[in-house]
Amino acid sequence: MCLSRRAMLTAAGFAALSFPSFAFGQTPRRALFVLIILRGGMDGLGAAPAIGDPLFAQAREGLAPPATGDGAPLLLDGFFGLHPALLETHRLYAARQALIVHAVGTAYRERSHFDAQNSLEIGLATPHGRDTGWLNAALGALPGGEGLSVGVATPLALRGPAPTSSWSPSVLEAPEEGTVARLQALYAAQDPALAAALRAGAETAMTAEDLAMGAGRGRNLAPLARAAGRFLRDPEGPMAAVLELGGWDTHAAQATALGPFSRALRSLDGGVLALREALGTAWDDTVVAVVTEFGRTVGMNGAGGSDHGQGSAMFLLGGAVAGGRVLADWPGLGRSALAEGRDLAVTTAMNDVLAGVLADHLNVSSRALSEAVFPDAGLRPVSGLIRG
Amino acid sequence: MPDLALAAIAAHRFGFGPRPGELSAIAGDPRGWVKAQLRAPASEPPAIAALPAAEDDLLAFRRWLARQRLSARGETEMAGAGEQASASQEGRQAASLEQSYVGAFRDRFVRAVNARIIAAATSDAPVLERLVHFWGNHFTVSSLKPAASVLPPSFERDVARAHAQGRFSTMLIASCRHPGMLIYLDNVLSVGPNSSAGLTGRGAPRAPGGAGGQVRDINENLAREVLELHTMGVEAGYTQADVQALAAILSGWTVDRPRRRDILSDQAGERSGDELFRFDEALHEPGPQRLLGELYPDHGLAQGEAALLALSRRPETARFLAFKLARHFVSDAPPAAVIARMAQAYLDSDGDLTSTVEAMVDSPEAWEAPLVKFRRPEDYLIALLRSLNIQALPESTAWATTALASMGQRPFSAPGPDGWDDTEAGWIGADQVWKRVEFASEMAERFAGADLRASALAEAWLGPLLSAATRRALQQAESPAQALTLLFAAPEMQRR
Repeated sequence: MCLSRRAMLTAAGFAALSFPSFAFGQTPRRALFVLIILRGGMDGLGAAPAIGDPLFAQAREGLAPPATGDGAPLLLDGFFGLHPALLETHRLYAARQALIVHAVGTAYRERSHFDAQNSLEIGLATPHGRDTGWLNAALGALPGGEGLSVGVATPLALRGPAPTSSWSPSVLEAPEEGTVARLQALYAAQDPALAAALRAGAETAMTAEDLAMGAGRGRNLAPLARAAGRFLRDPEGPMAAVLELGGWDTHAAQATALGPFSRALRSLDGGVLALREALGTAWDDTVVAVVTEFGRTVGMNGAGGSDHGQGSAMFLLGGAVAGGRVLADWPGLGRSALAEGRDLAVTTAMNDVLAGVLADHLNVSSRALSEAVFPDAGLRPVSGLIRG
Repeated sequence: MPDLALAAIAAHRFGFGPRPGELSAIAGDPRGWVKAQLRAPASEPPAIAALPAAEDDLLAFRRWLARQRLSARGETEMAGAGEQASASQEGRQAASLEQSYVGAFRDRFVRAVNARIIAAATSDAPVLERLVHFWGNHFTVSSLKPAASVLPPSFERDVARAHAQGRFSTMLIASCRHPGMLIYLDNVLSVGPNSSAGLTGRGAPRAPGGAGGQVRDINENLAREVLELHTMGVEAGYTQADVQALAAILSGWTVDRPRRRDILSDQAGERSGDELFRFDEALHEPGPQRLLGELYPDHGLAQGEAALLALSRRPETARFLAFKLARHFVSDAPPAAVIARMAQAYLDSDGDLTSTVEAMVDSPEAWEAPLVKFRRPEDYLIALLRSLNIQALPESTAWATTALASMGQRPFSAPGPDGWDDTEAGWIGADQVWKRVEFASEMAERFAGADLRASALAEAWLGPLLSAATRRALQQAESPAQALTLLFAAPEMQRR
C-alpha cells in the first residue's frame, strides 16, 4: 500500500510538469456507494446456481439450467455459476470486481414482501422497528454524507434525518428547450425564487436528458443507473445513491430464456454496465451492493416458478471491491439442511456484509455501525470485502 | 366604479382564479363577491353529491378484505397435502394482493379526485370550495394509511364541507366521530385499561395485521393530534398528561362494526360518516379526567363532547386557527393585525367560522399584501382549468390524479396527519418547479387550438395583474402552444 502510493505520487509529480490540470489540481478521490434494491424476492439460486452441489440438479428440477449449450451458466469458481443473462457481472468477476455472497439474508423470517423490504431497509429484524433507513443512518454518521434516490419515491433505506435528494424521470413530457429559455428569461425578470428553482430543475433534467427518451417505468434500469452515475461522479454530488428494480416475484415461468426472470436479470446487468460507464474513473472508488428482501423456494412450484423463501444471493460490484470470488458458508440443499424443509438457509447475515462495506469503504465507525446503522444485537461486520 | 385590480385579487387570492368573463362581473363589488359566498346557503356540488356514502366505501373495503381471506382459505384447502403446493398459493396471493387492491379501488379513488377538482373548477362559490379544501387539509385523513385509504373523500364531504360555514366545535366533534379520522389516527384501537374490555378482553378490538392479539390499552394518537394539529397547536404549552387525559376521555369513540350480512350482500351502504359513529362504553376508560386544569367527570360520550367543546373555546385555538387561515389565504407570513382580528372574531362569535373568515376579508391588509402566495399543485391545476372554462373531466380518467402525483400532490394522500405544507418552501423545489413547467407545457399542447389565443386569455384571466414582461413574451412567442405554455407557467399564474 505504502509503496504503491509513493509510486503514484511520483508519477503524479512528473505529470504535474507537463499537464498541471490533470495532476495535483484534481479533486481528492471519494468513496462512492450505490445500493440496488431488487424488489419482489430475487431467486439467488437462479442468479448464481450452485452447480457444484451434488443435490442441486435434483432439488431444482425444472429450474436448474442445462450444463452445456443454450442457457448454460457462466462459470465462476466451479461450485457456483452465474445466470447467462449476467454477462457484465461475469466480466466484472473475471476482473476481480465482483464478489458474490450466497446463502445470505436479513433477520426477517416471514414471507411478506413489504415487511421483508422494510426489514431490509431499516436494517432491523422487526419490520416496523423505526422509520429511519440504515443507509440514511450511515450517511448521518459521516461528515457531509449525502444520499440520492433515483426514482419517484425515496426508498425507506434512505429516509431519515441525514440530507438526501431525489431525482426521477418525468411522466410528463419535457417542454421544448426554446420555451424553457424564454420562461427562464421571464422568471429572471420578475420572480427570482422561481428563476432559481427552474434553473436547477432544468439542469437536473438536462443531466439526464436521455432519460426522457423511452426510459419505461421500472423495467429498464440502465437509464436510471446512468443518471445515478452522473450525479455521483460530480465531486460536489452525493456520495451514495439508491436504485430500485422490481420484477423479481417470479411465481411462474421462471426458467424460460425469455421469461420474466431472465428479463429482470438482463435489466439489472444492463444497469450495472450503464452505471460503470457513467461513473468513468470514479468506478474505481465505487461499491455497488445488490440486495433483495428474501430468496425463493429451492423447488419448483406448480407454475414453473418459485415461491417466497429465505436465503438468497447478493452482489458486491465495483472497482473498490476485493472481488473475483464467492463468499458462502454453504448450508447445502439436502432436505434436512433446508430451512422449513423448503428454503435455502440463511448462513450469512446481510447486515454483517453491508456493515463490512460501510466500515472499510466509507469509514463508518464501528460504534456508529452498531449503535445507529444496524442496532440489533450481534452485529459482526465482515472484513476483507474491500480492496486494500 | 368597477375595480378590476381588486376583482383580480378577490378571484385569485380568495378563489381559484376567474373563469372567462368573471373578472368584469366581480369588478362592481369584489369584497361583496367574496362575502356573499360565505353567507349564502351552500348546496353540495352534483359531482360531490353523487359520490358514495362513507358506509359504502367502508363496506367495499371490508368486502374486499373478506374476499381476500376467503380466497386465501379456499386455495389452502384445495391445495391439500403438498407443502410445495400451499407455498405456491401463498406466494401467488401475496403477489396479487396489491394488484387486487388497486384494481378494486382505483376507479372509486379517481372518481372522487375528479369530483373534487371539477367541483372547484366549475363552482360559482369558489371561496367556499377553497375553505372546504382548507379544512380538509387541517383535519387530514390520508389515503396513505391502507386501513383508512378509502375514507378521505367522504371525510372531506361529511366534515369539512358540511361544517365549513358553521361552528368550529361542530366540525371538530364531527371529525372525531368520523370513521376516516377514527381509523386514520387509531382511535378504533384505543381501549381504556380499566374498561370492561380492557379488564376482561371481551369486545376488545384485534390488533391489525392478524399477528397481534387483542388491544387492551390506550392509543394516544388521535388525542395528541387533536391538541397538536386540530385545536391548540404544538406550541400551546399542554403536557403529556393532557394528551393522556384526552386519550382516556376519547376512548370508546369508535366505528359501528358493519353487520356480517351487509358485508355478504351487494347492497350499497348509505350511512354517512356521522351515522357510523358509535360510543362503546365497554372500551371507555371509566372515571373523571383532568385536562388543562379542568376536571371532566365521566358522563361517557358527554365527557368527550365537553372536552372538545372546551378545547375549541381556548384562546390558543382561536389564534392557531386564525394564523393557519391567514397563512393559507394571505401570505406565508400573514400580518399580525389580521390574525389578531380573526382570533377576536372567533372568540366573540363562539367559534363561528364564517365570522372568523369575514374578519379576514374585512381586513384591508388582506387586500393590500402583494400576490406572492405560491399556488400548490392542486390549486394550480384547478386555476388552469377555470381559466379554460373546463366543465368536466371524464369520470374514469386518471389524468388529474397522475399529473398531481407527478407534481408531488396526489389528492387525498398527504404525507402525514399534519397535511400538505402551506408555504412556498414546501413547493418551490427544483424538481417540483420543473414538473410544473412540464405540466404547463402539457396543458398547452392539449388545449392549444386555432381559437385559443394566449394574449386574450391572459387579459381575461389576470386583468391588471398581467405584467408587461409576460405580455411581451406572449406576443413574441413562436407558436400558439409556446405562448400558452409561457402563460400557464408565468409567475402571475403560479402565485395568487
